[in-house]
Amino acid sequence: MPLLDVRDLVVRYGTVTAVDHVSFALEPGETLALNGPSGCGKSTTALAVLQIRRPASGEVRFEGQELTTLTEAELRPLRPHMQPVFQDPYGSLSPRHRIRDAVAEPLKVQGRWDTDSGPARVADLLDRVGLDPSYGDRRPHELSGGQCQRAGIARALASDPRLLVLDEPVSALDPSVRAGVLNLLADLQDELGLGYLFICHDRSVVRHFADRVIEMRDGRVSSP
Amino acid sequence: MSAAGLTRLLCLLAVLAAVGLLPWLSGRDPALTVLRARSAEQEPTKEALDAVRRDLGLDAGPLSLLGSWASDLVRADLGTSWVSGTDVLPSVLAGLQVSLGLMGAAFGVALLLACALVAPVLVRGRRSAGAWGAMLAAVPEFLLATVALLVGGVWLGLLPTSGWQGPAYMVLPALALGVPAGGLLGRLVADALPAVLDERWVELWRGAGVGRGSVSAAALKRVLPPLVPQFGMAAVGLTGGAVAVETVFAVPGIGRTALGAAKSQDLPLLQGSVLALLLLGLVAGAASALLRRRLLGPALRDAGLSLPPVRPVRTHPAIPLALFAALAVTIGWGLLRDPYTVTTTARLAAPSWSHPLGTDGLGRDVLARLGHGAAPTVGTAAAVCLLSLVIALVLGFLPGVAAGAADIANALPPVIVGILVAAAAGPGTGGAAFAVALISWPPLAAHAAALVQEVRASSFLTAQRAIGAPPSWILTRHVLPSVAGPVARHALLRLPGIALALASLGFLGLGAQPPAPEWGLLLDESRAYVERAPWAALAPAVALALLAGLAVSGASYAQGRDTVVRRRKATPGSRTSVKETPVGV
Repeated sequence: MPLLDVRDLVVRYGTVTAVDHVSFALEPGETLALNGPSGCGKSTTALAVLQIRRPASGEVRFEGQELTTLTEAELRPLRPHMQPVFQDPYGSLSPRHRIRDAVAEPLKVQGRWDTDSGPARVADLLDRVGLDPSYGDRRPHELSGGQCQRAGIARALASDPRLLVLDEPVSALDPSVRAGVLNLLADLQDELGLGYLFICHDRSVVRHFADRVIEMRDGRVSSP
Repeated sequence: MSAAGLTRLLCLLAVLAAVGLLPWLSGRDPALTVLRARSAEQEPTKEALDAVRRDLGLDAGPLSLLGSWASDLVRADLGTSWVSGTDVLPSVLAGLQVSLGLMGAAFGVALLLACALVAPVLVRGRRSAGAWGAMLAAVPEFLLATVALLVGGVWLGLLPTSGWQGPAYMVLPALALGVPAGGLLGRLVADALPAVLDERWVELWRGAGVGRGSVSAAALKRVLPPLVPQFGMAAVGLTGGAVAVETVFAVPGIGRTALGAAKSQDLPLLQGSVLALLLLGLVAGAASALLRRRLLGPALRDAGLSLPPVRPVRTHPAIPLALFAALAVTIGWGLLRDPYTVTTTARLAAPSWSHPLGTDGLGRDVLARLGHGAAPTVGTAAAVCLLSLVIALVLGFLPGVAAGAADIANALPPVIVGILVAAAAGPGTGGAAFAVALISWPPLAAHAAALVQEVRASSFLTAQRAIGAPPSWILTRHVLPSVAGPVARHALLRLPGIALALASLGFLGLGAQPPAPEWGLLLDESRAYVERAPWAALAPAVALALLAGLAVSGASYAQGRDTVVRRRKATPGSRTSVKETPVGV
């Protein structure tokens, strides 16, 4: 059974069809890249997979479970299994919260927070993404872009996901920092067997990182 | 119809209904007032009062009252005055004629002043003219009118100070009404011009040898259309200012008629004149919309003509701090003294060691009255601030409703709302506070709505949904904390402005009642003996001017700071395009 199975996905913004009958499947431990120019609908596809933007029609199956027919309340317990990592490293963390609190928040929301072992779990997550746990006391604007992106990945891992939806995770980073973050993502995949849906507009990055590539143009898949 | 349009219509109908229902809303029995006014010697027996009530239609329910008022209105019948028994329509028309003349003259003054403020920016590219405009715009009309009366009429004795018999009578009222409006117009244009003059096309035109005059004209044409709606609001402000100015200079205009009618409980006359004032405001708004359409032409559809962001001059924090310190010392000193002791031997005494700011007509210490007047004013203003903060936070989540309601609230000057509330509930501090609260929330709500939109569009909120956070968690842990803090600071900085609005109602006798030492009331009381004891008027006038300065410099300091913070925040992510993500909170 594929980890993620998307069939005939259609997403509309008003009268504009942003995603037009897109289909693909993703196996556990696999990296599938959605590549295409800006405005081609790849980020909208990512939001529709996460059920943040509900699709107009089509199917999104996660581990065989159809998501598009679920209500918001039915969806909530399933959401932790698939986590997003965003393009803007600063915007994806609340400017008001410390890194430690941001990483702990999924545990608290999902009712898995334990006052004794919680802080150690947060330190462990920060360590795992290559951040010294002392950074937990800082706020996003006190970190570099690459460090913020690592914190964002740590927050995604806190939910114990099986799928990461990576929406241009390195596009906003300096070229020197990109390789570090991509290597981290590759290591995590080997360790945890995560599936990656990797949204990207840069072919050179895709070629090294992805197992398979789907090209998108004007909301459609342009080559199989 | 959009949410904003629907709310706008509903709010307008609600205001009209409130005007129509005034006789029913005013809890006190107007029959007694009417009986006294018509025949002073008649005993207020039950039969006589009942007869009056039947005559006025007060025994019917609110709905039939509203219905008959509306149907009379459609037939252009505004009813008969309860006090004089004459038709309301002729008095309203006569007042309107006078007021339109005054407002026309004031508009001329405003245009001249605005040109004077804008010219240095165009000629020499100076950037600080907006600050002067802001200072002038913050001086309330009632204060300026009193000072103009004091200086132009009493000290210099050049111009007549009361009545309406010729062009000379128009000068001082037109100045008092026109200067704040001109300051506002000048400030808006002078603030927007530097950013426009920095746009690429200006450089291109200059390089191509286009003359200075043509560039200036084109820059003005570029600046004006987006500002025209604000000009309409300035015209609405004129209708409110007219009430105070006409009262001070005894001009028989529509504003003074409305105020007099409110004080004598002559509700039909009040309804007629308030309706005329509202109509003036609506016409001004419609005219400005028409002018904007005419200036923009087909470009209006493209909606791409917003001005470049204004780069406000950041006020040095020392200015608001110094003003605050001066006020605090005066108030603190005054609080140590006794404001109510009447010393008949020391009436209208000049400033001396025993009375640093002199005494008033009853021999009370002016400094003490200033100090004791401040505490309740600040307390009331703080309560109003808090109320408008709550309204703004709620409406921030309903941007469509907020925009529609704000349009109507913006079209109502505080004085007119104050008159309506005073007519319904009787003059008093509570009524004045309620009136100011009704209309002081729109800028706060706009700020809250912008912040809510900003937070909702940020990707960390999308991450919140992705980890399975319920809407209540997102609202209380993320959205509200990001919005409440900045909006609360904004509300605090509006406190001096709210205190000024309360003082203006006090000045007109619609707020705090004697012998309370409220600042507006102090200024009003001192007008009676301004020729013999100008210091008694000067002390509250200077205190109010300091308050106005505090209102302006505090607000511009906050604006400057907000811009700086925003720019600093925007830098790291500026290379990325941040897309708006729908988050249902």
